[in-house]
Amino acid sequence: MGYFSESLSAAFDLIFQLDQEVWLIVMTSLKVSLLAAFFAGLMAIPLGITIALNEFRGKPFLQQILNTLMAMPTVVIGLLLYGLLTRQGPLGDLGLLYTPAAVVIAECILILPIILNLTIAAVQSSDERLVPTLKSLGANKLQLATQVISETRLAVLAAVVTGFGRAIGEVGAAMMLGGNIEGFTRTMTTAIALETSKGEFELGLALGLLLLTIAFIVNLGLQLLSKQGRSQ
Amino acid sequence: MSQNKEMAYELTDIRYEYFERVALEIPHLKIKKNQITSLIGSNGSGKTTLLNLLAFLEKPTSGQVSFFTEDTKEKVQLELRRRVALVSQNAYLLRGSVLENVLLGLKFHGFSKALQIQQAEQAMEMVGISDFSDRNVRKLSGGEAQKVTLARALALQPEVLLLDEPFSYLDQSSIEQLEFLLAKLTNEFDTTVVLSTHDQLQGLVVASDCVSLLGGNVVNSPLLNLFYGEIEAHYFSTGKIDIYVPEDIKSGKRLVVDPAEIVLSNESLVSSIRNNFQGRVIAISEDKGRVWITVDAGEKFYVQITRQSLSEMSINIGSDIWVNFKSTTVKVF
Repeated sequence: MGYFSESLSAAFDLIFQLDQEVWLIVMTSLKVSLLAAFFAGLMAIPLGITIALNEFRGKPFLQQILNTLMAMPTVVIGLLLYGLLTRQGPLGDLGLLYTPAAVVIAECILILPIILNLTIAAVQSSDERLVPTLKSLGANKLQLATQVISETRLAVLAAVVTGFGRAIGEVGAAMMLGGNIEGFTRTMTTAIALETSKGEFELGLALGLLLLTIAFIVNLGLQLLSKQGRSQ
Repeated sequence: MSQNKEMAYELTDIRYEYFERVALEIPHLKIKKNQITSLIGSNGSGKTTLLNLLAFLEKPTSGQVSFFTEDTKEKVQLELRRRVALVSQNAYLLRGSVLENVLLGLKFHGFSKALQIQQAEQAMEMVGISDFSDRNVRKLSGGEAQKVTLARALALQPEVLLLDEPFSYLDQSSIEQLEFLLAKLTNEFDTTVVLSTHDQLQGLVVASDCVSLLGGNVVNSPLLNLFYGEIEAHYFSTGKIDIYVPEDIKSGKRLVVDPAEIVLSNESLVSSIRNNFQGRVIAISEDKGRVWITVDAGEKFYVQITRQSLSEMSINIGSDIWVNFKSTTVKVF
C-alpha cells in the first residue's frame, strides 16, 4: 500500500507543480482530440442532416452500417491506416506516419460514425412538425438544413462532445499511428499505456487522474446541454 | 382540359396513397379564387392530406393539379410552395421571439431587410399581436401561439392562404375576429382562402363555397344531412325513411341533401317535389343572418331559411312542419 500512496502523492505533485512533461502530454492529447472532433463534426453534421432529412433506398442498411462502425475496434482502424500511411503504403509519400496528423486522421475516422449517428438521431427526435413547417414557409434545401441544425444545435453539440470524449480516451489507434514520441505524439493514453511499463508509475497515475477530470468535465457539459435542451 | 380563369385550383383524378392505402380520391374539385372555401369533414376524412397537396408539400400519387390555370406537373415545387402559405393545426413555432418567427418565412423568400420588417409588422398588426412581438414563443398561451402562426403565414402575403382547423382552439370573440380577418383578406387583398373544419355549421357560415370530405372522397355540398342506407328500387332506404332518388342512380351507401335545397311548408305540398316528410321542429338557431331549423322527420334534417320566412311561417319549437325536396337534388355516393 505504501508504494501506491507514495506514487499517488508524487502524481499530485506532478499535477499541481505543472510538470513540463505532464503539461506537454495533456496539451498534445487535447490538441489532437479537439482537431479530430472539429474535422469529424465538420463532415458528420452536414452529412447527418442530409441523411436524416432525405428518404432514399438503402437508408436502413446505411444506418445499420453506421451502427456497426460505431463499435469498430480502434486497433483495426489503426491497422488499416498504418497500411495506408506506412512508407510502402499507397499514401506513404505523405510521410504522415508517426505524426500528430496521423493520430488526428485516425481519431477523426473513429468518431465520425459516432457524431454522424448522434446527429441523425438528434434530427429524427426533433419535433415532427419542424420540417413540414420550414418547408411550408418556403425554405429551400440549404435553408432547411441550416434551420434544422439551429433548432437541434444543443443535441448536435452534444454529439460532437461525445465524439471528443471518445477520441481523448482512445489508445489503440493513437499508439499505432502516433508511436508515443515524446513531445510530439505522446498523448495521455499512450503515455499511460507505455510509460508505466518503463517504471514511470507516478506519471501514469497523474495522467490517469487528469484524464478522469477531463472525462468528468465532458460529462458535466453533456448533462448541462441536455438539461438546457429540455428547458427550451 | 377546360381551364377556368376564376379558379385557384382545379384537381382532376387525384389519388393520394399513403403506405399503399388510398388516403384521398378526388375525381374533380375546383376551388374558386379570391373567396373562402371550407373543407368540411371529420377526423381522418383526408382534410389535412388535401391541404398538404394544395400547399405543394406533398405530390399526389396520380392525377392533375392545376394552380391558377397552370398545370403544376412540370413546375418546381419550391416555387409553387412560395405562392401559398399553410397554417397547420397546432402549428410549430421555432425557438426565439414572436418577431423572429414571423420573419422566418420572409427570410427564406429572400425579401429585403426593410420589406421583411414592413410585412412582418403589418401581419402582426392585422392579427393583433404587435404588443408582444419580442416575447419568447415558449411563454405564449395556446391561442396566442396560434395567432403567431397565422401572422407568420400572412406576412408572406401569399396568393392562397390554407388553414387547417383554424377555429379549434379559439374562443368566440377570437373566432369572430378571424372570420372578419379572412373576409378582409379575400375582399381587399384578393387572397384565396381555403380552410378545413370538422364543424359543419362553422364551415357553412364563414365560407362562400363548401367542399365536404368523407373517407377520402369529395362531395360538393355540405354534409349536414347525411344519411346511411341502401338503394332499393327507386328510393334510398335509411331504415327510418325512404327517400326518392333519380332513376339512374343504382348504387351507393350514403345520401346527402343540401340544406339550401329543402323547402319547408306548413301543409303537405301538392307539387312535383317527390320527397315530402312530416316532422316536428326541434331546434331553431341564427348565425350571421341565416336561420337554421332542425326538423325531426324520422331522420333529423337541417334546413336553412331566411328570417322572413321564419316569421311568415310562424315556426316555433314543436311546430308540425313538412320537409320537401326534389329527388334530383339529392346526392348518392
